Amino acid sequence: MKTFPVIDIKHHSAEIKSIYFKQIEPDIYPGQFFNVWLPGVDEKPFSISDVFQGIMEITVKAVGPFTRALVAVERGDFIGLRGPFGTHFTFHHHALLVGGGMGIVPLRYLARMLRQQGFHFEILLGARCEKEIPFQNDFSEWAPTTFVTEDGSLGYQGQVTEYIHEKIRESKLSFIYSAGPEAMLIRVMEEAKKAGLNYEISFERYMKCGIGICGQCVVNGSGIRLCKEGPVLSRNMAETVTEWGIPHRDATGKRKV
Amino acid sequence: MSDLLETLFLSKIYQSPLVLASGVLGLTADSMRRVLEAGAGAVTTKSFGLEPRKGHACPVILPYHSGLLNAVGLSNPGVDEMVKEIKKLHQESKGGIFASVFGKTPEDFGEVTKKACEATPDLIEVNVSCPNVASEFGAPFGADEFSVANITRIVKKAAGDVPISIKLTIHCPSIEKMARVCEENGADALTAINTVGPGMLIDTGVMKPILANKVGGVSGPAIFPLALKAVWEICANSSLPIIATGGVRTADEALQMIMAGATMVSIGSGIYYKDIEIFTHINQDLTAWMEARHIHSLETIRGAALE
Ligand SMILES: Cc1cc2nc3c(=O)[nH]c(=O)nc-3n(C[C@H](O)[C@H](O)[C@H](O)COP(=O)(O)OP(=O)(O)OC[C@H]3O[C@@H](n4cnc5c(N)ncnc54)[C@H](O)[C@@H]3O)c2cc1C
Ligand SMILES: Cc1cc2nc3c(=O)[nH]c(=O)nc-3n(C[C@H](O)[C@H](O)[C@H](O)COP(=O)(O)O)c2cc1C
Ligand code: FES
Repeated sequence: MKTFPVIDIKHHSAEIKSIYFKQIEPDIYPGQFFNVWLPGVDEKPFSISDVFQGIMEITVKAVGPFTRALVAVERGDFIGLRGPFGTHFTFHHHALLVGGGMGIVPLRYLARMLRQQGFHFEILLGARCEKEIPFQNDFSEWAPTTFVTEDGSLGYQGQVTEYIHEKIRESKLSFIYSAGPEAMLIRVMEEAKKAGLNYEISFERYMKCGIGICGQCVVNGSGIRLCKEGPVLSRNMAETVTEWGIPHRDATGKRKV
Repeated sequence: MSDLLETLFLSKIYQSPLVLASGVLGLTADSMRRVLEAGAGAVTTKSFGLEPRKGHACPVILPYHSGLLNAVGLSNPGVDEMVKEIKKLHQESKGGIFASVFGKTPEDFGEVTKKACEATPDLIEVNVSCPNVASEFGAPFGADEFSVANITRIVKKAAGDVPISIKLTIHCPSIEKMARVCEENGADALTAINTVGPGMLIDTGVMKPILANKVGGVSGPAIFPLALKAVWEICANSSLPIIATGGVRTADEALQMIMAGATMVSIGSGIYYKDIEIFTHINQDLTAWMEARHIHSLETIRGAALE
């Protein structure tokens, strides 16, 4: 673990901010995460949302004590970073990127990489409202993008999952990447299965060590560790997980009821 | 797996002398089953107490160049949840299951043990030596002969037919004497050693200790020679079977533990260095070593370095 100075901050909304650091490792892939340490507060996992020209970025939404402290950091503050950890998305042609809520974040760096490789892909993003969808301009510039919001403030009104089927059929897409709330991931996996498509999903659980030894992030089924064999799971790996949609373990390791 | 590695420990035969150490990947049945499938003869659960505990804020585990520092703070889902996981694992696997228990008071140790034994583990391992909860629990019981004797008697009584092993720390006036105290008070086996220290690392950017708990127990390669010497000393002075723990990453190190007198060899931090397959690889290397020397049982080399 080392601490690094924050070199810049960008506000997307009152609750969502991006925090920038000099790139601390040469090889960082979309879908991987860093354990972010706020001295005196705690340490929690955050996806990499971009790496570009020697600068890396994480994007945080304030939802609780730690993330509220994290969005309050200022340029020049020293923050601890360990990583990158975990598996990453691999690159496929003709893919649909399906993101919901803060699941949009890892897809941003994936979209940049797919575009750099010259792959054709399309994007489907959903959130509660327009303010909760960061990087709208980048996504729209890089690929055909459909936005869906629950309140209709951007794009279609409704849920992203209502549009997956149509998107796949219309644009003849053959692979799905997805990150977001578990209920959405479950629908994405169902749709992919129906359409006979392969996929990669980013799947999150409470994490502590990030390096595969504390056992906190293990999911039932084959016993895979989401910090090590995840967070990005291939279809084969995802199908070994038997705890979709049931309450997660908390810091004690007990399932919340 | 070849049966060369079969090891008799407390009247049960294990497929391998290798054990998963407490605190590493030991929270759920599926996680422990995976380690058994990789070749461990037995797995030890994360230490659990009567109630769920959140443990310390993160970072709780910190690798440095010679080992790991940890102050997880005995986070665990509580005995009721762990009993379910142990029962599930029993149904799904033939491998050994050791239940690691701790308590705030000697009486707590007895109560947790009684409940844990509902799941019929192969062993109750008694964690009297966690160095990471001193601010809350006071100095570990493991430093004090009177406390260890008392807890050993209480746990032995609570465990009924299930054998018990006391997990020792090197931070006591004399580990050989502590081993004898355990033996005299009814222990069936000993586990040695728990983490060492605690130690500390400071971040020079923010000029503060990095672990949220400030200090944490040291494990991994850094402590191997300390653990080996402790095992050697205990074996020279006690007839109880030993689960040797501390810094083992290779078959050569496992053999050193066995030559110092250990019956079982457990691995925790090694998973950070070599991942879960460490069990598969050490089993293979042990087997190759034995075949090359026409050794048919580890029994023939056990304690060879004691003379
Ligand atoms: C691999 C991974 C990548 C993530 N990437 C991002 C990201 O890019 N941007 C972002 O804003 N958030 C991300 N998160 C979620 C982020 O870690 C949590 O929002 C944060 O830990 C909440 O802490 P809190 O104290 O603010 O909230 P709390 O009130 O403590 O919790 C709010 C929610 O976050 C979950 N959470 C709390 N602690 C952890 C933990 N240690 N590990 C995992 N989940 C936790 C809780 O279960 C709860 O659902 C990611 C999580 C994981 C596992
Ligand atoms: C992350 C971590 C958590 C641990 N938790 C426990 C625990 O709950 N109970 C216990 O008796 N020992 C615990 N230990 C100590 C180990 O079981 C073992 O005794 C020690 O780490 C030395 O072995 P190693 O070098 O192979 O890790 C823990 C060790 C680590 C690294
Ligand atoms: S967070 Fe510790 S094993 Fe995954």
